[in-house]
Amino acid sequence: METVLIVIVILLLALFGSPLFAIIGTIALLAFHSAGIDMSAVIVELNRLANTPTLIAIPLFTFAGYILAESKSPQRIVGLARALFGWFPGGLAIVSLVSCAIFTAFTGASGVTIIALGGLLYPILLKENYPEKFSLGLMTTSGSLGLLFPPSLPIILYGLVAKISIDKLFVAGFIPGMLLLIFLSIYSVRHGIKSEIPKIQFTFKNVFEAVKNSAWEIPLPFIVIGGIYGGLFTVTEAAAITAFYVVVVEVFIYRDLTLFKDVPKIMHESMVLVGAILIILGTALGLTNYLIDAEVPMKLFTYIQELITSKILFLILLNIFLLIVGMMMDIFSATIVVVPLIIPIALAYGVDPVHLGIIFLVNLEIGYVTPPVGLNLFISSYRFQKPISEIYTSTLPFILIRLIILILVTYIPQLSLFLVNLLGIE
Amino acid sequence: MNFLLRISNKVSNAEKTLAIFLLGLMILLSFLQVVLRNIFSTGILWIDPLLRNFVLWIAFLGASLATHNEKNINVDIFSRFLPERWKHFTKTVIYIFAALVSFYLLKASITFLLDEYESETILFTIGQVNIFSWWMQIIVPIGFGMMLFRFLLFALQYFIKAVFPQTTKVVS
Repeated sequence: METVLIVIVILLLALFGSPLFAIIGTIALLAFHSAGIDMSAVIVELNRLANTPTLIAIPLFTFAGYILAESKSPQRIVGLARALFGWFPGGLAIVSLVSCAIFTAFTGASGVTIIALGGLLYPILLKENYPEKFSLGLMTTSGSLGLLFPPSLPIILYGLVAKISIDKLFVAGFIPGMLLLIFLSIYSVRHGIKSEIPKIQFTFKNVFEAVKNSAWEIPLPFIVIGGIYGGLFTVTEAAAITAFYVVVVEVFIYRDLTLFKDVPKIMHESMVLVGAILIILGTALGLTNYLIDAEVPMKLFTYIQELITSKILFLILLNIFLLIVGMMMDIFSATIVVVPLIIPIALAYGVDPVHLGIIFLVNLEIGYVTPPVGLNLFISSYRFQKPISEIYTSTLPFILIRLIILILVTYIPQLSLFLVNLLGIE
Repeated sequence: MNFLLRISNKVSNAEKTLAIFLLGLMILLSFLQVVLRNIFSTGILWIDPLLRNFVLWIAFLGASLATHNEKNINVDIFSRFLPERWKHFTKTVIYIFAALVSFYLLKASITFLLDEYESETILFTIGQVNIFSWWMQIIVPIGFGMMLFRFLLFALQYFIKAVFPQTTKVVS
C-alpha cells in the first residue's frame, strides 16, 4: 500500500514538471535506502561520468552543433542543396529534407532544426507555390529527420547506455535513415508535380557558386562520417576535430561569429543543455545499477512473458510503448531511462541490441511529432505562428509515411543489420 | 530576497565563466591529443583523465546553470493546462520537492567525498604534482549545494507569487 502511494506521488510530481533528475534521484535514493545500502552509493555510480571516455563527445558535439546553428551555415547548406537538387520536380522539398537531415545529425536536439532552418526554408517553400499545409507538415516532420546519421548525439547516447559499439550503430542506421529520406522525397516529388511547381534551372555555374560558398563546410560531414565509418578515428576524436574545426571555420574563415562575444555565449547555452542531460544520466547510472542488481528487467520479462508469447507481438507492443514515450519525453531522457529496462527484455525475445537501437530511434523520431503532445508540434506552432490544430493535420501524411518505415525497420531486421554484417564491424 | 537573488546571479556568472573556460580548454586539449596521436604517434598521458573529469565539472556547472535558468529537462504534461495562479502553486511544490532531493544528494555526496579524501586516491600526475581524486570530485557536493539553494529560492518566489499574484515577479 505504502509503495503504491509513493509511486503515485512520484508519478504526479514527474507529470507536473519536476526536474527529471530529481525524480530519478528520488527513486535511486529510495531504492538503495530500502536495500540497506548507504545512499552515497548513488554518488559512487554518478562519478562514472568521469570514467567514461566516450562521454567527452557529448559536450564537444553539442557545442559544435550550436556553433553551426548560430552561424550562417544553415543558409549555405540550403544554397548548396538547392543548386544540386532544385531542378527536380519537388526539388525544393527534397532540398528541405536533405538539409534538415544533415543539420539534425549535427545538432541532435531536433527542435533546433525547426528554429534555424524552418525560418529559412518555409518562406521559400511558400514563395515557390508549395501549398501551405504541405510546407508546414514538411518543416515540422523534417525537424526530427537525420537522427540516424553520424554524428547524431542520440545514437552516441544509446550506444553509451546500452554498452554497444557506436560505430556499429552508425552503420546500422544508414539504410533505415536513407529509406526515410527516400520515401519522404518520393512523396514530396509527387506533391511537386501535382501542384505544378516551377523548377529552378540546373546550371554548373550555380553549383560551382554554391560549392565555393560552402567550401569549408562541405568537408565536415566527410571528416566525421568518413572518419567514423572508415575506422580512422573514434567518436571522441571525431568530436574533438569537429569542435575545433567549426570554431576555426565560422570564426576565422567565414567570420560569422566573434571569438570573444558570440563564442562564449554559445558555449554557455550549449553547456546548459549538456548539464541538463548529464545530470539525468549521472543520477540514472545509480538507479540502473540497482535495477540490474535487483534483476528488475528479468522480473519484468517473466511477467510480460506470460502475456506476450511471440516476438512479433512483443515488437508491436514495443512500437506502441515507444511512440507514447517519444511523445512525452525528449530523446535524451527517454534513452537514459528506458533503454536499460528494455534491452534485457528485448534480448530475451531474441531482438538484436543494434536492431533495437534503430527501432528505438526511428520510434522516438516519430514521437516528436505525434499528437497531441509531441514536442516539435509545439515548436513548429510557435515558430510559424500557426494554431496547433493546423500543425496536427498538416503533419499527418508525413507521420503515416514514417510509420510505414517504422514497420519495415522493425519487422525486417536485415535493413539494420545487413551492412553491419557485410562490413564485419565489431 | 533581493540579496539572495543577487548572490544567485553572482554565482551563476562565476559558474558561467568557469564552464566556458573548461569547455575552451577541453576543445584545445582534445584536439591537441588527436593531432599528437594520429600525426606524431604520441600523446600526453594526463590529458585523457583530465578531460574525463572536465565532463563531470561541466555536467555540474551546466546543471546548476540550467537550474538557474529554469531549463532543467522535465516531462511537463499537465501544468500547461493549469490557470496561471495554480501553475505557481504547483511550481512551489515541485521546487520544494526538488530542493529536498538535492539536499539528500548533497548529503550523499559529502559522505562520498569524505571517503575519497581519506583514501587519498591519486587520479593522475602532471609533472611532479599529484592530482588527488577528491580535488576533482569536490564539484559534486558544490553542484548539488548550488542547486539546493536555487530550488529553495524559486520555491519561495513562486510561493509569494501564488499568494500575492499582483505584487512580485519571478526573476532569475
